[in-house]
Amino acid sequence: MAELRRILHVEDDPSIQAVTKLALEAVGGYEVLSCSSGAQALEEVEAFAPDFILLDVMMPGMDGPQTLLRLRERIDLERIPVTFMTAKVQPSEIEHLRKLGARDVIVKPFDPMQLAEQIRSIWLSGRY
Amino acid sequence: MDDRTRLALQAQLAQLEQQFGERLQADLTDLATLAQDLQQTRATASRRLVMLSIRERLHRLAGAAGTFGFAKLGERARQLEQRADRWLDSAKPGSRAAEAFARAVLQLAGETPGQERDGAAELPEHHEEPAPGCRIYLMKADPVAGASMAVTLRNFGYLVSQWPNFAALEKAVADELPDALIVSVEHDSKFEALAALQQGLEQPLPLLVIHDRADFASQLAAVRAGAQGFFVRPLDITQLENSLERCLDRQQGEPFRVLIVDDDLELATRYSLVLRNAQMQVQILTEPTRVLETMRSFNPEVLLLDVNMPDCSGPELAQMIRLHDEWLRVTIIYLSAETDTHRQMAALLKAGDDFITKPISDTALVAAVYSHAQRARSLSTALARDSLTGLLKHADIKEQLALEVQRTTRTGKPASVVMLDLDHFKQINDTYGHAAGDNVIRALANLLRQRLRRIDSLGRYGGEEFVAVLPECSALQARRIFDEIRVRFAALSFNAGDQEFRVTFSAGICETDGHSASGLLLEHADQALYVAKHNGRNQVQIAQR
Repeated sequence: MAELRRILHVEDDPSIQAVTKLALEAVGGYEVLSCSSGAQALEEVEAFAPDFILLDVMMPGMDGPQTLLRLRERIDLERIPVTFMTAKVQPSEIEHLRKLGARDVIVKPFDPMQLAEQIRSIWLSGRY
Repeated sequence: MDDRTRLALQAQLAQLEQQFGERLQADLTDLATLAQDLQQTRATASRRLVMLSIRERLHRLAGAAGTFGFAKLGERARQLEQRADRWLDSAKPGSRAAEAFARAVLQLAGETPGQERDGAAELPEHHEEPAPGCRIYLMKADPVAGASMAVTLRNFGYLVSQWPNFAALEKAVADELPDALIVSVEHDSKFEALAALQQGLEQPLPLLVIHDRADFASQLAAVRAGAQGFFVRPLDITQLENSLERCLDRQQGEPFRVLIVDDDLELATRYSLVLRNAQMQVQILTEPTRVLETMRSFNPEVLLLDVNMPDCSGPELAQMIRLHDEWLRVTIIYLSAETDTHRQMAALLKAGDDFITKPISDTALVAAVYSHAQRARSLSTALARDSLTGLLKHADIKEQLALEVQRTTRTGKPASVVMLDLDHFKQINDTYGHAAGDNVIRALANLLRQRLRRIDSLGRYGGEEFVAVLPECSALQARRIFDEIRVRFAALSFNAGDQEFRVTFSAGICETDGHSASGLLLEHADQALYVAKHNGRNQVQIAQR
């Protein structure tokens, strides 16, 4: 079974970007690459070869769902779980995101101390 | 994780929180500025843009604030975001709801946010949120007829309060201003009281009058009371709704676009300032040679044209513009120091609609441009709409669909295209006559308008064929909506002479898929419509792909 090591995080808000990176690196011990836009993620995804992708939904320019579609054109997402982060909590929205192929949806705000554990359990949930 | 790592981590987190707190101050100031913009913006389209950008910021706050220990602030931002969503989704978003919303945002932005990690922060004050629609006060002596009118208007998305007599109406207006008044007048003597009510207000309210007869005296009295619509019983309620929409739009439509072509930049700047102060959007052009390209990019409704310019004269330029059919709707007003009436008239005869002699007072300039712009706009709306149904025409609905398809590729949210056709329509025309056929088409158009949302577009595609474009609506949702409309429509009974008849329709639906062009989507919807017809009509089918 592959191990979860590298996480690609796409988020335009610098504060959230910083706290996520800290939470995942310091608490979870993962290696995190933060991208500020979908376009940047597309450029860097191949070189970074992530095991897991964390996408913000609402971003200026290319939003989360669009980034997911474009990522899928570029790399094989069969074995890389993609999880969205969003402040929207309507069940229909979450359902829509799942339909797009998201493994799970993390609702903002989140607790920085718990985030790494949350990602780990999402990672494990799809392993069998 | 050992204690030292944990402590180091917490220190880092605290530092991030502090940075966020500093940023938060700046964000809240921005939010306050936007809320003030919202209060000052009156045009629906511009207001929508401000609302969208406030919503985006609230969304950001809702997501981030809680993560950094500002949980309550985040929660309130989320509630306000949902309120903005409701306003944006409302069929007739009202100005009062926007104002109350702006106040609530200002309140949020004006407080010093405290971190509530240790709890014990007090709960935010709860303000009752006004409903998001346009509020109409309806005065009608007959409570039953009034109630049935109110129901129809509510179906169109208005918030209707009904008052039985003038005293009650007066009191209600004093308590809270509505967006418009509809008054059913029994005697001409009532007009004086109405006029007095309007004069007592800072700005007269849009007023529609319903009366028994349309003679000269009562129409004059109505106009003097500030009426913008006059209807005779029996009432055609869809016509009344059209008129209501028009006068609400006139109040808060997009700003008029005016292009000034004058080689004297100083004078042009002065005019532009005056017109901008009157809420118009103005662009200045000092080189006449660039007029056509500027018109294409700016799309003006009124053109102010200097008569004497070095490269070519105003009348020459006007004639050139009139060579292009697409600019027929633009009003051309000449600006000149020319006081020789013969030469003025010669210029007008060449092309152009009016003449303004420099110097002109600020008020006169605004009045001249405003009246022409208003006229140009209502004409161009009338031209884009089908005269029988008031729906978009073939080319305009196709354009609307193409825009929506572009939008769905951006947002990833599916939209649906519906193609709808009356069953056995030729037979109805042949049996009951064309007037009866027209009635059927008008009734279907009204029913569709009533049942669909304001963000949906609706067009008459051909004789008895309609196309609807429903943003953020899956094919399954669209089928539910149209099945309900189908049942309601089939239940309507029509009259031709002493004969009574019923009509049904069939519809085909196709959902956007993020890559198909609008033409292809229409084709799929049309194929589904064909299947519906083939399977026996009076049904709704989704395209099989």
